[in-house]
Amino acid sequence: MNMPYDAQAELDDAALLARYATGDAAAARQLTLRLTPRVFAHAMRLMHNTAEAEDVTQEALIRLWRIAPEWREGEAKVSTWLYRVTANLCMDRLRRRASVPLEDAPELADPAKGVEENMQDEARNMALQEALQQLPDRQRQAVVLRHIEGLGNPEIAEIMEIGPRAVESLTARGKRALSALLAGRRKELGYDND
Amino acid sequence: MTEDPDMLDDLFQTARRTPAEPSSDLLARVQADALAMQPVRGAVLPAPQTGLFMRLLGALGGWPAAAGLATATVAGLWIGMFPPDLVSDGLSQVLYGADTMTVDPLGGFDYVLLEG
Repeated sequence: MNMPYDAQAELDDAALLARYATGDAAAARQLTLRLTPRVFAHAMRLMHNTAEAEDVTQEALIRLWRIAPEWREGEAKVSTWLYRVTANLCMDRLRRRASVPLEDAPELADPAKGVEENMQDEARNMALQEALQQLPDRQRQAVVLRHIEGLGNPEIAEIMEIGPRAVESLTARGKRALSALLAGRRKELGYDND
Repeated sequence: MTEDPDMLDDLFQTARRTPAEPSSDLLARVQADALAMQPVRGAVLPAPQTGLFMRLLGALGGWPAAAGLATATVAGLWIGMFPPDLVSDGLSQVLYGADTMTVDPLGGFDYVLLEG
């Protein structure tokens, strides 16, 4: 029997995936709404190309739907598995292309903020994204997972299939490189007034 | 070049606050995949353990076929032990002590022939 939509929202990803595997259509809709934004945002951070990030998102989630009947709760976190699959799909695409053209900054306008504040957010996002794109792929992945997705080193290590020390090294080098890349843009990004 | 933690932390915070949002078209595509690939309800239940009897039953065609087979067996046994008049075979000759066995292929049609 399908659970009420509100009750589904209380379940964690693995429990929802288990319900999906039993044929619960409400669980399919809830998982779509919950996971698509996460996967898409991560793919955008790694690739900064909307069309490619959309393709990666769809492919990563197809793999999740396919594996759902065999998923065993408690063995791995759904989000950890998805970050790994998403990153691998992004890396495959990035390797196939010599360079990925940067798009314009995505629309981030928040009506609750003033125009100037929204424009500044967009400029800062774009500057960070441009700098991230100049990092080696693994450094960029580690920095995004640590400082934007907010994950801990053990989970990042699991996603990247490396040791926690290697994660620390990658994030430290990534942050140093970002600082160097952004140092000349302080004034342009509005930080000299802080 | 030294790190600039304040600026970097602020940039990370801005990025966290303003993630790229998926389009409604992407959400629709993902949901269509999810529903199309969803296992049919009940299909993921573990298969029951099947013994020799259940496998034989399955080979026969299940319970309806087995019931038909049982009915035919009982009917055959009944006809063998208490044969109707028109049924005569070697076993009944032995059972009922007749010395000879006659075969009358048109026995059931006598009246029809007389009337014709």
